[in-house]
Amino acid sequence: MDMAMLDLLARWLHFLAGVIWVGHNYASVVNRPRWRPLAASDLSDPDSPKLKEVINREHGTFRWASVVTWCAGIFMLWHRGWLPGALQLQGTLAPIGVGVYIGTLMMLNVWFVLWPHQKKVLGLVPAPVHERLRCSRITHLSSRTNTMLSIPLLFLMASGSHGGYLLR
Amino acid sequence: MRHPYDNALTTVALGVALTAVLAALLRLLA
Repeated sequence: MDMAMLDLLARWLHFLAGVIWVGHNYASVVNRPRWRPLAASDLSDPDSPKLKEVINREHGTFRWASVVTWCAGIFMLWHRGWLPGALQLQGTLAPIGVGVYIGTLMMLNVWFVLWPHQKKVLGLVPAPVHERLRCSRITHLSSRTNTMLSIPLLFLMASGSHGGYLLR
Repeated sequence: MRHPYDNALTTVALGVALTAVLAALLRLLA
């Protein structure tokens, strides 16, 4: 398999995993457009074990999708030799360079802010009710931070050039 | 305490505003 084909696969993966990742985020925005604080009763709902399993699977899906998206993006920049220039915001690589920083921040947000707190909300990590309620506020703000950051990130991705590799 | 992220519209508005600022900065520094 030559590099052009690998690049095409990376682009495809980048789109696919990116849609799965950020799509979950936007689904959350559409389902809950306004912040509604959780109550202690929400955490002791009889359906909560089932809900916990569903949310855990959903979270795992988009958490790993974020890694695939990030790796595919870095691969595309690396194999072109553009990664150093992008990271140093040089010339025409500056827009996608800013995109790399925003995307990296978003992935770190998912793994190191959202997920540790979500584990407490879901009860995967034992925590008192007041702590779980506090964590639900943090997961909300963390999730919406990524919603907000995805807007400039998608703009910066769209502002790059397109190679037309399939028909070359 | 209310936060702009508590409303979907203000969240999107912040994203659009940040996009405009970054785009302007990139044009300025290009």
